[in-house]
Amino acid sequence: MKRVVEGSEAVAEAVRLARVNVISAYPITPQTHIVEFLSEYCANGTMDARFLRVESEHSALAALIGTATTGVRSFTATSGQGLALMHELLHWTSGARLPIVMAEVNRALAPGWNIWVDQTDSLAQRDTGWIQLYCEDSQEVLDTIIQAYRLGELVDLPVMVVLDAFFLSHTYEPVDIPDQKLVDDYLPPWEPKFQLDTEKPCAFGPLVTPAFYMEMRHAIAGAMEDALEVFPQVEDEFERIFNRRYGEVEAVSCDDAEIILVSSGTAASTSRLVVKDLRAAGEKVGLLKIKLLRPFPVDIVRRVLASAKKVAVIDRNFSFGASGIFAQEIRAALCNTMKHPPVFNYIAGIGGRDLTADVIEDIYRRAKASDFPERESEWVGLQEV
Amino acid sequence: MAKGKGMTIPPSILIPCSYISTESNKTGAWRFLRPRYEEKTSPCSAACPAGEDIGRVEMLATQGLFKEAWETILRENPFPGVCGRVCYHPCESACNRGEFDEAIAIHTIERFLSDTAARNDFKPVLERLPLRKEKIAVIGSGPGGLAGAYFLTLLGYACDVFESMPEPGGVLRWGIPSYRLPLSALRNDLSQIESQGVRIHTGRRITRDSLEDMYGIYDGIFVCCGHSASGSLGIPGEDLKGVANGLDFLRRVREGEVPSVEGLSVIIGGGNTAVDVARSVIRFGGKALIAYRRRRQDMPAFKDEVAMLLDERVELRELVAPIKIAEEAGEYAMTLGPMRVAGEDTDGRALVERDGNTTEEIRIKRVFKAIGEVAAESWLEPPEKDNDIKILNNCVMVNRSDHPAVVFGGDLTAGFKSVVNAVASGKEAAIALDIVFRKGLDSVDEELANCVVGDGPAHSMEIHMKGERYKRSSHIVPYEEINTDYFSFTQGITQPRLLKDERLCTFEEVDLKISASVAMRESERCFNCGLCNQCDNCYIYCPDMAVVHDSSINGRHIDFDYCKGCGICVVECPRNAMSLEEED
Repeated sequence: MKRVVEGSEAVAEAVRLARVNVISAYPITPQTHIVEFLSEYCANGTMDARFLRVESEHSALAALIGTATTGVRSFTATSGQGLALMHELLHWTSGARLPIVMAEVNRALAPGWNIWVDQTDSLAQRDTGWIQLYCEDSQEVLDTIIQAYRLGELVDLPVMVVLDAFFLSHTYEPVDIPDQKLVDDYLPPWEPKFQLDTEKPCAFGPLVTPAFYMEMRHAIAGAMEDALEVFPQVEDEFERIFNRRYGEVEAVSCDDAEIILVSSGTAASTSRLVVKDLRAAGEKVGLLKIKLLRPFPVDIVRRVLASAKKVAVIDRNFSFGASGIFAQEIRAALCNTMKHPPVFNYIAGIGGRDLTADVIEDIYRRAKASDFPERESEWVGLQEV
Repeated sequence: MAKGKGMTIPPSILIPCSYISTESNKTGAWRFLRPRYEEKTSPCSAACPAGEDIGRVEMLATQGLFKEAWETILRENPFPGVCGRVCYHPCESACNRGEFDEAIAIHTIERFLSDTAARNDFKPVLERLPLRKEKIAVIGSGPGGLAGAYFLTLLGYACDVFESMPEPGGVLRWGIPSYRLPLSALRNDLSQIESQGVRIHTGRRITRDSLEDMYGIYDGIFVCCGHSASGSLGIPGEDLKGVANGLDFLRRVREGEVPSVEGLSVIIGGGNTAVDVARSVIRFGGKALIAYRRRRQDMPAFKDEVAMLLDERVELRELVAPIKIAEEAGEYAMTLGPMRVAGEDTDGRALVERDGNTTEEIRIKRVFKAIGEVAAESWLEPPEKDNDIKILNNCVMVNRSDHPAVVFGGDLTAGFKSVVNAVASGKEAAIALDIVFRKGLDSVDEELANCVVGDGPAHSMEIHMKGERYKRSSHIVPYEEINTDYFSFTQGITQPRLLKDERLCTFEEVDLKISASVAMRESERCFNCGLCNQCDNCYIYCPDMAVVHDSSINGRHIDFDYCKGCGICVVECPRNAMSLEEED
C-alpha cells in the first residue's frame, strides 16, 4: 500500500515488517523520529518486540551484541556523534559475526555542532567490518532495510543502511509499504548458526592467540567477498516478489558517456536531473550512483568507468590529509587496471550545505574544462573567510 | 559454497568460543579493596527515643508483612498503638527522605500497623530469654512502668506492676483526651503487654511503708509513677474555687464526667496539658483562651497539636502572665500582665520578663492551671547524687546494701516528658537491672553503652539481646550516602482528619485511618537507610558475578575468589548497606 510517509517512518515500517525482536537505541537528531516510531510500536503492540532503553549509543550496541548472540533479530539506529561513540562495538559486532542491522542517518560531526547531512560519520566506519549501503530515497531505505536482514543473516555480518539527514529522515515521500505476508515470504525467520545455549554454556570472544586470530580475520574478509556474491541474489529474490531492485551501483547514461559523475545518497537524485538536462543539451555525461560501499563492488565499477574519458566524484565527506572518501575508493578500484580515466574529486554539500543542480553542473563544467586533476580534490562553493 | 533456497550459502563462520570455565581465572587475586555487607543505622531509628528499627519496619510494611513489621516495633516499644497516635515523632524530623522530597509519615504507618494487628488479632512472636529467679516490682502503670515491666518480662523476669487507679495506663488512660488516643487503641497495647506475662495489680496505691515491705519480696523495684500534682502559680487567688488543675480536669473527663464549661475558660501554660484542656473545653461547648508567658514557638506542646488547637478556634495569647485572680459576682476577674523577650535559654526558648507595669483585666468563668506537674509525694523523687546512685540517661538507679536495686524513671527523671521518652526510660531501667543481675553493677555503664542505637542516647532491646540488629554498624547514614538515582520524587501522604466542624463537637479520634495500600505506598518511599532490602543491585551490577545468592539471612555473599574489589556494588547500593575497605 502506498502512503506518504516521513523517511524515519519508512525505516520504522521496514523494521516492523522485518519482525525485529529487539530494538535498542539512544536518541540523537536526526535519528530520533525513527526510535520514536519504534518505541511507540513496541508500546502499543504494533510490534511484538522489546525496546531496550540505554544510557548511550555504546550501550545500545553492546546490548544488541548480547541479544543477537541469543539468536534474535536486533536493530539500532543512530547518527553522527552517536555512531562515533559506537565505534569500538562496531568492530566487535562484525568480529562476533552478528547480523545486526543499523539505520545510520548521515550527520556532520562536531565541532561546531551541526545536525545536517554529511557522510563523514559513516565513512569513517568503513573499516569496521560492516556492510554499508547508501540510499537515495525513502522507498530505497525501506526496501534496503528488509534486504539487509536477508543479506546480513546469509553471510553473518552486520549491515549499516545509510540515509541522509533531513533530506531523507524528515522528508515525506510516497512509499509503497508492502504486505507483511510478502515480506514474510522474502525474509524467513533468522536461523542463527550459533547462539547462546544455556545447556552448553560457553564464552564468546575470549582471548585468541596469534596462532588463530589471523584466520578469523581472514574469515571476515571472506564473508565480505561472499556478501558481494550473494547481493545480486538477494536483489533477484526481492525483485521477484516486490518488483524493485537497486543494484550495488546504478549506471545512468554511462554507456557512451565521456564524463561520468559519481555520487551517492540524495545527491544522486539531483545528479540524475543534471545528467538528464545536460544530455538534452548534447553533453556526453553519465552518472554512477554508488549504493554498496562495503564490500566495494570493484569489478562493476571498473566495468562502468572503463570507457569514460574522465570521472568526477562528488564527495559529501572528507578524509583530512587525503581526499574525498568515495574518490579514494574509485581511484583504488581503477589503479590496477591497465588504462583508466583520470579521477577528479569535488568536495561539496559539507555539513548540510545545499548541493544543488547548479553546483553539480558547475562540477561537470570544471571537469570538462580540465585535462587532468590539478590536485587530489577540489572544494566547491567555499566562501571567502 | 553450498546452494540452498535458490542462493549460495557461504561457508561456516569462524569465531572464537571457549567452553572452558572462566572460573580458572581467579580475578579476586587482583583485589586491593574489599566490599562487604554491612548494615548501618538509619537516622530515624537513632532519633527515636525508643530506638525503634524504623527502616526495617518500613521495609517489611512495603512487602505487606504487617505482622512482622508490627513485631519489629514491639521488640523496641510495647506501645505502637499509642505512639502511632500521640508521639511527637522526632524520627520524621531526622528522616533522610525529608531532604529529597518529604519525610516518611512514620507515625501514621506505626498506627496503621498497630490497628491492623488488633483487627487481625495478631499474636506476636518475640524473642525471650530463659526465665530467671529474680522478681521485679514496678510502681505505676503508665507508659514508663509498663515498658519497664514488659522488657523485664522478655528478659526473663517475673514482674508485678502496682497501679493506684482502677485501670492501668497512667497518663495514657487518665490524661490524654480520647480524641487523640481512643480507649480501644490503648487497650490493644495494654492487652498485648499483659499477654507477654506482665501482671498488673490495679487499685494498689504504694506508700513509702508498703514500698519498704517489698524489699524482702522483690529483687528490684522500678519506680515510675509519673507526675500527678500540679505546680503552683504563686499568685493571689490561686486557691479560689474556680481555679482547677488541668490534669485533674482531663482525668475527670476520661472518667466519664461531662463537666460544665460554659463561658470563657482560661488555661495557663503552653504544654500539651494546656492544649489538651483547651481542646476538651471547646468540645464541651465552652470557649477557651490559652495564656502563655512566652511565644508560640517556645511552647513545649507538640507543633501539630498547637496548629489544630488554633484551627479549633481556641484563642492563644502569647507573652502574657497571670498576676491575680479575684472572684466577682459568680465570675472571675483575671489580671494579666504583658511580658517581653529578654534573652534565650539553653534550648533556644525565649526568656521573658514583665513588660512595664500595665495590666489588663478579663472577665472569665474559670481557670485551669497547666504549668507543669510534679511528683505527688516527695519520696517518689529520686535521691540527690550520692555514692549509691547511678544517673543514667533516662533513669536513676539506687543501689544500697540494705535494699534491692531501685530505679526511678519516667517523668520522675525525664528531661523531656513524653510517652516515648517514658518508654525509653522503662527500657533503660529494664536493661540496667538485667545487667546488674547478670553481670553486676560495675558492668552497667559499659553494657548500656554497647546497646545504644547509633551514637545514642536511645537503647535497643534487640541489640541488648544480641539479635540481628547487634551486627549493624553504629554509623548513622546521612542523606549524602543515599544513591538517590534509584529514587524518584513522590508525594507523601496527607494524614486524613475529621473535618474541623466535626471535631468541635465530638471526642471521636481526629486522625482517621489509612488503607493498607496507602500505607504500603508510603512505606515504599522509605530509603531504608543503611539496611539491605534485597534489591539485588549488587548482584545485578557485579561485573564478575562474584555476588552469589545463598540461603543465609542476608540472602547473598561475595565470592572473594572473583571479586576484584571494583566497588561497583557499594556505589550502586541505593542505601549504603555495603562498605568498601582496603585489604590488609
